[in-house]
Amino acid sequence: MELQFFVDPIRCIGCKACLQGCSECATHRGRSMIHLEYMDRGTSTQTVPMVCMHCENPTCAQVCPADAIKRTEDGVVQSSLKERCIGCANCVNACPFGVPRYYPEFDQMLKCDMCYDRTSVGLKPMCATVCPSDALFFGTREEFETRRSGRPVNEFRFGAQIVRTRVFMVLDEAHDRLDVQDVALADTPDPRFEPDTYDSVDPFSHVEPPSNGGPA
Amino acid sequence: MSERNPASAGAIPVPFMSATLDGRGVLAGLVFSAVLSALVYLGSQGLRGFDGALAGYLFSTLFALFGIVYRYVVWLQRPPTRLYWVRGWQLFWAPGKRLRNMGLFVRLTFDKLVAQTFIRRRSHQRWLAHQLIFWGCVLAILVTFPLTFGWLRFESAVSDPSVYMPVLFGARMPLFGFAARSLVGWVIFHLLDIAAVLVLAGIAIALPRHLKDEAELSTQRLDNDFIPLVLLFAVSVTGLMLTVSNMGMAGKFYYWITTTHAVTVMLWLLFLPFGKFFHIFQRIANLGVWFYKAAGAEGEQARCARCREPYLSVMQRDDLKRLLPELGFDYAEEGGGNWQDVCPSCRRKLVTLNQFQTVGKRFV
Ligand code: SF4
Ligand code: SF4
Repeated sequence: MELQFFVDPIRCIGCKACLQGCSECATHRGRSMIHLEYMDRGTSTQTVPMVCMHCENPTCAQVCPADAIKRTEDGVVQSSLKERCIGCANCVNACPFGVPRYYPEFDQMLKCDMCYDRTSVGLKPMCATVCPSDALFFGTREEFETRRSGRPVNEFRFGAQIVRTRVFMVLDEAHDRLDVQDVALADTPDPRFEPDTYDSVDPFSHVEPPSNGGPA
Repeated sequence: MSERNPASAGAIPVPFMSATLDGRGVLAGLVFSAVLSALVYLGSQGLRGFDGALAGYLFSTLFALFGIVYRYVVWLQRPPTRLYWVRGWQLFWAPGKRLRNMGLFVRLTFDKLVAQTFIRRRSHQRWLAHQLIFWGCVLAILVTFPLTFGWLRFESAVSDPSVYMPVLFGARMPLFGFAARSLVGWVIFHLLDIAAVLVLAGIAIALPRHLKDEAELSTQRLDNDFIPLVLLFAVSVTGLMLTVSNMGMAGKFYYWITTTHAVTVMLWLLFLPFGKFFHIFQRIANLGVWFYKAAGAEGEQARCARCREPYLSVMQRDDLKRLLPELGFDYAEEGGGNWQDVCPSCRRKLVTLNQFQTVGKRFV
């Protein structure tokens, strides 16, 4: 049975296990490719994990001037080829999901490759093996259906752009696509809190701050 | 390798590379090869200085040049590559910045192309292996190309036959004469052996990673990563065997070894436009990107449409927004906004925010 990746950020409890697991992956040892965001630190404890969604027609690969991002036949979009990536950060800034990371120190982009060293031999990605809340779940469709409710979709819309991905996100039965709106959906700040309420506590201080690709 | 991972061994679709021959690429390739042929003819004084035994190498070099130029031209036609190419030159040659850019060019060339410090920051071992292979190849090319092209040869001096002198473009250079049986003579005659040893040392350091490292095992491909290493190894070993046969085996198997060596070198030349070797030519674009980044950092910064924080230069954001429709993407919103105006961090948050909205849940 084919193993698939189901993400459900709503379930994320912000435990950071995935960050830790991810940094043990052989293709980017010591570095976590997962982005874990606080949705709105002033008002909520909700956290958001983001892995590469492995697009069918990856924007990152198309905007790459060096032809450094390849999608393998099994639909996994690889990290940049080391000898090719020229560090322009086009991919970092064009990916609709905000996934690739640019590392100024070695002038190269790295991104989640679904733990290719593991998934290419039938193992689960690191993050999904450690996620306690199943926000990141890797398994067969049957496993998903027997354990969970909700409808996994792999179609997203950003503006006029439809993006199909190899990774599924969990919605409800009424929706077969996630229409992502941007500013129209600006979150209204919760009046109970000052926007910087939690700023003295930086929950991700141990994580490398992502770089959008400026000069080192 | 392919057994472990059949899916990655096969062809990976390369976007925007047409399967038919590209006219511009063919033309540019032919022009470059013709120019090199003319330079060989002129530099060897109408082929008088040309060593017929090296003709095979010359033809392979011409062919390799054609292939490299062809692939480069096809590559430059991809919209993002073309954009950086045009922008890189524009910014480099911007009035008032030229002197500074020359300085930056020298520094970057040293840093990125010669010392390759960015590799060292990834891993010292990787850097050492790369430097050894790099300098070995540079040395070998500096020695063999002028000889192959008939630009350089050695003659013994009329006054003293034990003294050799270089003849460059037909001009004798007695000032640079050296005794054949001196240390200098030894080094000059063994430059290619030295190059081979450097390359082999580099391969010895790199190989265990290719054979054992889980990440390499799952991502490397036969044509891209392995054949180049095998070819470098074959060229170096057969080259060294020539010296061994000459010095230690009284020329035994010499003919057989020269033929094998010639075949490996020609295969190496012909493989230059393919696989990993092509990065040698591609990486020069890395310098253009730095001019782009420097100009971007000095110019206006784009602010995220959601959080209002600066996250990218206006130049790069606008270039991307122009580029994406050319590539068949349309991230424009109905209300006039554009998903590309949102910073990567807000994109990540908004995806989940929209997930909450869509399924009708509220976060706490
Ligand atoms: S999610 Fe982003 S990084 Fe991953 S394949 Fe799609 S465009 Fe590329
Ligand atoms: S940073 Fe590297 S992988 Fe990303 S677009 Fe630029 S060259 Fe390609």
